[in-house]
Amino acid sequence: MTDSDRTVDFGFERVAAADKAERVRSVFASVAPKYDVMNDLMSFGVHRLWKQFTLSLTGLKPGGSALDVAGGTGDLTAGLLRQVGKSGRVVCSDINPAMLDVGRDRLLDKGFVGNVEFMVADAEKLTFEENTFDCVTIGFGLRNVTDKAAALKSMHRVLKPGGQLLVLEFSTPVLPGLKPVYDAYSFRVLPLLGRFVAKDADSYRYLAESIRMHPDQETLLEMLRAAGFAHARYHNLTGGIVALHRGYKI
Amino acid sequence: MTATAPWLASVEALFNRNISASTEARSLARRLEATSLLIEVEKMLRVRVCVFNGGLALLNGNEAGAVPGTSVPGTPVDATAVISGSAPALLQLLRGEGASVAARAGVQIRGDAEIANLYRQLFAAAKPDFEEELSRWIGDMPARRLSQVARSVRSWARRTRRTAGENIAEYLQEESRDLVSKPEHEEFLQGVDAVREATDRIEARLKHIEQRIKGAN
Repeated sequence: MTDSDRTVDFGFERVAAADKAERVRSVFASVAPKYDVMNDLMSFGVHRLWKQFTLSLTGLKPGGSALDVAGGTGDLTAGLLRQVGKSGRVVCSDINPAMLDVGRDRLLDKGFVGNVEFMVADAEKLTFEENTFDCVTIGFGLRNVTDKAAALKSMHRVLKPGGQLLVLEFSTPVLPGLKPVYDAYSFRVLPLLGRFVAKDADSYRYLAESIRMHPDQETLLEMLRAAGFAHARYHNLTGGIVALHRGYKI
Repeated sequence: MTATAPWLASVEALFNRNISASTEARSLARRLEATSLLIEVEKMLRVRVCVFNGGLALLNGNEAGAVPGTSVPGTPVDATAVISGSAPALLQLLRGEGASVAARAGVQIRGDAEIANLYRQLFAAAKPDFEEELSRWIGDMPARRLSQVARSVRSWARRTRRTAGENIAEYLQEESRDLVSKPEHEEFLQGVDAVREATDRIEARLKHIEQRIKGAN
């Protein structure tokens, strides 16, 4: 079956697999200028804590190398750069050039130059050599990838033996009573915020829908294992609204 | 499998940072590579500790720590050793030295005791320095000041607890007379001993008299 025959989810819609990447690209091209403001508004700033927690587990040392897949506006990249220092190397990759532009400008404004590279790359087909990075992160990006299993295998390939993958992504709330409140917020408040702040309600409706279609914690954990990651486990954050999955390449 | 608590991940990161900074801890971690320790804190939690890739991995006690369905060489599936006890007892074990401390503290060790002891040494060698950790967040000077304040508060609390204990004991012994003082208590016990000895002597004497009467008849 070819990509044009196969259908995948795009939010609650089914679209041809070949079309998903383009549609995701157009969503993020639309939201890129207001992406950071919207993140703060939507999560009440808590996304910073989720990212800080992720960064605290990288195990990177000065001189290390890291890849931030779907790095977008560069929040995780900036943290990784602080950890590897001037002697290290960080690559921020994203399939969307508009998001990468925003990220590059932000990191330049923060004074990060020299040891950071920006690359338009498809997470499913990373073009780096095998065993290149000590750590690979993907923050709020995996759910937008068409073939998640292929992306996980691709990230596994570019990790050095002993290297760690950290997947920060929206997930399924596990705290009793949280789900109805979260659903109401996602499907009523988020599109409104999108309409008034980013002038794009549809993209934020897609955000809420894509979160619901994303594999839950246990399913994603199994996917990590199937991709070859050892010691795979996850941590629920904010009652499971977000989960951080991690695994090592042996 | 259930999720691993985020606080365990933070503790793990803290220990791993200290392991990579300490030669002794790195050497211990190398010796413990591909082993695992199950820590059972009574009525609280079970944590599985694995040493992997030169660092610690803290997992929920029920997690195997391996990849089911795959054969990953060197990945521990069962715990090499199990340490169980109450939280204070386990803390005492961490502070103390040697296996005798474990017995005194009421900690049970099952499995490979040597491995359990090496883990204890690793925890001690990679023990977090809270002043150092605090300084990462708020800077060196404020962290130093806060540590000094914390030390003063702890020392004051210890002094206050000791003084309060002494004052209460003195009131109960000297003022309200609900309790006897130590000298009075000792004097009483000496009196009891004297009575017991006198009774024994009288008993022996009576037996002696009885025998003499029987002999005369």
